[in-house]
Amino acid sequence: MTSYSKEVIADLVAGTLPWPQTRRIMSAYKDDDRFFKYVAVLQDRVGWEEPILLPVGDHLFICQSGDERVTKCECGHSFGDYRKNWKLKASIIVRDTEELLREIYPNSDLPDPEWMEIREFICPECGTLHEVEAAAPGYPIVHDFEPDLEGFYRDWLGKPLEPSSKGG
Amino acid sequence: MLDKPASALRIRERLIESERLMEGTGCYDGITELSLRNQDPLKFETLHTKLRAYCVSAREMARRISASPGVREVGEMVVAIYTPEGDAIALSNGIMVHVHTMSRFIKWMIRNGYEENPQINDGDIFANNDAFIGTVQVPDVMDVMPIFHSGKLVGWAGAVCHELEAGGITPGGDVALAQERFTEGLFVCAEKVGQNDELRRDYVIRCERNLRMPIYWVLDEKAKVASCIDMRESVKALIDEIGLDYWMQVSKEFIEEGRRAQLARARQLTVPGIYRGHTFYGHVTAGKPGYQPLGDPDWLYNMPIEMQITSDGKIIMDFEGTQPWGYHSMNCTPAGMDGGMFVTLTQTMNFEGFVNDGAWMATELKLPKGTWTNPDSEMAATATSWALLLPAYGVFQRLLARSLVARGFVEEAFVGQVNSPMIEMGGTSQYGTLFGMAHFECAAAGSGAIAIKDGLDTAYVGWNPESDMGNIEIWEQNMPMLYIGRSIVPNSGGAGKYRGGCAFLSTWLVSKTDHLRLVTSEHSSRVFDNGGLCGGYPAPTCQKHRAVRDTNIFELAEKGAPLAHHTGTNPYRSELEVRLEGKHVTVEGPYITAPHKTGDVFTHSYNGGGGYGDVLERDPVKTAWDVENGFLTREAAQGIFGIVLDEDEEGFPVANLDATKRHRVEMRAQRLARARPVSEWVAKERERVKAADFAPEVKKMYASAIKLSARFTRDFSAFWDVDAKSTFGVE
Repeated sequence: MTSYSKEVIADLVAGTLPWPQTRRIMSAYKDDDRFFKYVAVLQDRVGWEEPILLPVGDHLFICQSGDERVTKCECGHSFGDYRKNWKLKASIIVRDTEELLREIYPNSDLPDPEWMEIREFICPECGTLHEVEAAAPGYPIVHDFEPDLEGFYRDWLGKPLEPSSKGG
Repeated sequence: MLDKPASALRIRERLIESERLMEGTGCYDGITELSLRNQDPLKFETLHTKLRAYCVSAREMARRISASPGVREVGEMVVAIYTPEGDAIALSNGIMVHVHTMSRFIKWMIRNGYEENPQINDGDIFANNDAFIGTVQVPDVMDVMPIFHSGKLVGWAGAVCHELEAGGITPGGDVALAQERFTEGLFVCAEKVGQNDELRRDYVIRCERNLRMPIYWVLDEKAKVASCIDMRESVKALIDEIGLDYWMQVSKEFIEEGRRAQLARARQLTVPGIYRGHTFYGHVTAGKPGYQPLGDPDWLYNMPIEMQITSDGKIIMDFEGTQPWGYHSMNCTPAGMDGGMFVTLTQTMNFEGFVNDGAWMATELKLPKGTWTNPDSEMAATATSWALLLPAYGVFQRLLARSLVARGFVEEAFVGQVNSPMIEMGGTSQYGTLFGMAHFECAAAGSGAIAIKDGLDTAYVGWNPESDMGNIEIWEQNMPMLYIGRSIVPNSGGAGKYRGGCAFLSTWLVSKTDHLRLVTSEHSSRVFDNGGLCGGYPAPTCQKHRAVRDTNIFELAEKGAPLAHHTGTNPYRSELEVRLEGKHVTVEGPYITAPHKTGDVFTHSYNGGGGYGDVLERDPVKTAWDVENGFLTREAAQGIFGIVLDEDEEGFPVANLDATKRHRVEMRAQRLARARPVSEWVAKERERVKAADFAPEVKKMYASAIKLSARFTRDFSAFWDVDAKSTFGVE
């Protein structure tokens, strides 16, 4: 079975693994023990103790926080119950004028702000930009991901989660 | 008619039985045990490898017969081997989107009594380019030939080429101006076009009389027939070796194995749950010549997608809430939607093992009737269906990418494909003859980023995993335009920790013609039709077309003065305006104008991919390299990424790491100062929604989605706490 060390996975996730090695990993059969090594790498990276249950973004994780399962920024800021859309608890910058769009697209033609805006969802504590939506004005904010967390651990990983009194 | 042992209706009955068995057992054709695989796995694997080799070899041979630079240079062809019921067993590389569309074509003939009339005999050639029967768009012309062994139908060989000219209302293959089926070009509707391994002369004459450049289509037909014969003979020889009964069983086991492999791959690489995303497409035609007033000229399309990965690994994609089909060429049939799904899966999940129709069987598409994904009128035009297909399946790739990031397979998390606007052309060639052609350098767009690295520059397109822009010299042989520039477009990849791949731009001098029609399609300039992921931004919208008529370029050349070789980085004043005199034109959306002539200059820009991750985490050293090589501008490096660049002794950019660190701290603080709570923004925005204070096209988009979808109506109403129907005046 293919398997890599935690150090290799850490470098891969950080984007620092040399390309020839990365290329070999891409071409090889996948390593079935990836998930828990990956979570361990991320757990080392964050500055808090609550166990990560599932990464849902580059710096966004579902974790076990006491009795609750919450979506949390890498900085430790909690967006609350993981089953709810974390974006509704975030901060936002909306680029809905030519001037604001021009900041991101300094040398290109722009979309028509009457037809399209950019929404940046930001951690209110550390300012990390977690997600960008390009949407027509008035389009509801998207709830990107509702994982079947219990089913994933029980049926696919074979390691059922401890029952949680709150948050799923 | 089929002779022994098959009766006249046996294939149709067999097809129905196969589907019933699948429904009853959940396994392809009722194959619940892979008995031959279990008996001798090595033989099993070897046979599939042989079949795949037959396909790859047949395609390579056929490409040498073709006259089309699309097929010869860019590889716009795929071939496959099918079961008698029309399910793909093995396929070549190339435009794999068509493997399943050909499956639909074969099944359509079986269901429609072709065994009786026009009959299915050894040596017959059947062709089709009707998307409602089974293809994506009119230029995708497919040929299939039955494979008989011992008097029994034992399979099909099939081949597809994307034709560079389809004889539609506008020249080329992607007929941008088609608003109904009747203007899309030459249709061949599941027609028997040849017998005894030979194309009928009357069919060839029809092609010659109805196309602007029949040499492409006709020689491609010969290439396809040659590849089908080649595969057929190889399969027959294989059956001689392994026996007919073994073949009939093993071919089905290959497909069932493919189905199981797809489910297993989903369970291995992803996380079960519900994923959502969307993208948009802006179709702008107001005031353009040639459009019939059949509907509103400008459309804004929303493409919401909800993807479910079930606990057994099945992927279900639901397009509910999207827009109705319209009087334009961008509609798509279920066959095209299947094709988009298939080609995406072959790149994203089925990169090893058996790639065949089994993978498709492990997925499900929900395509609401009446939408562009499943028109309820077969008169709808589909000639440029990639315009909507590519953005939609770009969303699919981003949804899969999120699941791959969640699972830890970051090296496979791919922000996805983008539209790559095409140029079609026709008129009088540089040789003084009638011509028509699609320019396929668009098959080398920038890709989306990957979760660990930048996207591919000028090297990716969704529909053909072997992207290739073709050689300039070959294109120049086939059109009355000369390249005066082909260059990277700076900042054309979406910004992010990892940027999207950059696109390129071509600049041409029209040469040796007094009548060159240029038409473009898949051109969403008013809205983003791609996206970023995890904080990455979308790539820029399609850039406007910039052209100059009646230039002074020959005078400049004579004087040895500088020419314009690209449009430059000033969006308000292009290099063309700086360098060339003449009538300057800037066109948004599809380019449909009066013919060009010698001395005119035309530019066309392709698209880059979306970015991944927060821009403030981008590597400064890599960015300096990007600036040095023209992938990013200095102002983007500093203004978007917060990277301060100095210059070395030779004037090359060098990242100032300390200054960058300080600048990024400031930028992050500014970000926080500018941002406000989402709840506050929602409360304010709700007032705008209640008043439906939007541009007419935006209001129309909401009204159309609300009319077609109860779920969209419910979700919209719940999010904004409004009555969506009354807000947008929907009965």
